[in-house]
Amino acid sequence: MEDAAVEEAEVSGAGEFAPALVAAHPLGNSVAVAVGPELRVFDLKGGCAVSLSDDSGGCSHSDAIRAISFSADGALFASAGDDKLVKIWKTDSWRCIQTITSEKRVSAVAISKDGLYVTFADKFGVIWLVTVGEHGGGQVSSDNKPVSLYGHYCSIITSMKFSPDGRFIATADRDFKIRVTSFPKNPIKGAPEIQSFCLGHTEFVSSIAFTSHSGGSSFLLSGGGDSSVCTYSF
Amino acid sequence: MTRTSGANGGGQQGSGKLPRKRFYRARAHSNPLSDSHFPIPIAPDDVDLSQHYPRYFPADKGEHGDGDGDAEAPRIRFADVGCGFGGLLVGLSPLFPDKLMIGMELRDKVTEYVKERVLALRASNPGQYDNISVVRTNSMKYIPNYFGKAQLSKMFFLFPDPHFKEKNHRRRVISMHLLDEYAYVMEVGGIIYTITDVEELGIWMRTCLEKHPLFQAVPEEEIKVDPVVKLLSSATEEGQKVARNGGQTFQAIFRRISLQEE
Repeated sequence: MEDAAVEEAEVSGAGEFAPALVAAHPLGNSVAVAVGPELRVFDLKGGCAVSLSDDSGGCSHSDAIRAISFSADGALFASAGDDKLVKIWKTDSWRCIQTITSEKRVSAVAISKDGLYVTFADKFGVIWLVTVGEHGGGQVSSDNKPVSLYGHYCSIITSMKFSPDGRFIATADRDFKIRVTSFPKNPIKGAPEIQSFCLGHTEFVSSIAFTSHSGGSSFLLSGGGDSSVCTYSF
Repeated sequence: MTRTSGANGGGQQGSGKLPRKRFYRARAHSNPLSDSHFPIPIAPDDVDLSQHYPRYFPADKGEHGDGDGDAEAPRIRFADVGCGFGGLLVGLSPLFPDKLMIGMELRDKVTEYVKERVLALRASNPGQYDNISVVRTNSMKYIPNYFGKAQLSKMFFLFPDPHFKEKNHRRRVISMHLLDEYAYVMEVGGIIYTITDVEELGIWMRTCLEKHPLFQAVPEEEIKVDPVVKLLSSATEEGQKVARNGGQTFQAIFRRISLQEE
């Protein structure tokens, strides 16, 4: 189920401002919007805005949010961006249960299908993985340091999604490429096995999405700066 | 009849004039992070093999020689990453006359030199050297554009840039991340050959290969009988320079394996 879209912020002249981001809870419970550093959540069931609580003292992110994502079941939400922080939220209480520090600014974030891991991509094109803490343990995970999963060499990751069956993770970059990698049972050791490269775009890839097929097979869709949408079976 | 300037290889009798290296000198270092503007194939099927290996893809057969011919169109099977002046390709060509090989080189002038060299060798040795070619490209970013899954049976990394400073280690052409990509374009059983005269880099490359779950060291007995191995240190300009100075070289030769279930 598609859960995120990107809209251009209405700012004149701006190359400096991050585009506003929108994500919908997979079950339709809520909608999250990121505008610059601000994260705003609207509870669709209750028909009211939600106030987010973040025990780390700060109020959400301190710099532009570049990526947001709900987990497949909607229980978790992740946000990350230019403040080099990745925040994991529980969507029932909208409490930030975990904050991870990245060495570099973050351009993409995703939550694994089983809700156990969060992956994020930094500006060098490296994809990192952290384990989602249990009961919202410490806010800043020091013992749970991110491990490097794989990387798109010197490329900015524009979109990152897990396949519906959780077996693969797909990442798209500004150098026209999409890599589909096998997501192992034990990802802490890395994800070295590339399933395929989905090539065809002649410009940066801006967005990817998996389809789910009741028959079991799914396809990957992508859109990019060459004004084309591609479909791949991987 | 031109005198060649130190280029190795067989007898040079014939009409092909070999290019002179002095007109193609370039700095040893090229910045792989700068986006030079050279054409890149969007996908491996877009690589125009008829340009590189005309004898294998005659013009009347259609685009990539694919189609109704009796045999399947040959694909590139060996890649020399950072091929420099082409010494290794020239040495490998007669050893594997039925295998298509390509060199990848970032520097424009050096790529031109290799192109000229291949043309000259083909002219003066009819029927030979048709299976080697060169392409100017950044192999650290674009290898998946040139080669499909499990396409290559050999990959070569001869005397790569050591990138001594720790902050530049991520630019090294052998790294855990890039090995994922090299493993993808190599078939199971394919072999990756690396050599350097810089001990620290030799240790680095060997360690990366040992740690990577998709590569396993090739046993000594096999290395001894592999005809390719002695070319690593003798066929290239860099290798010859090291030998002249009596330097030591460090090899790491590994086989692409399938993922072992734990």
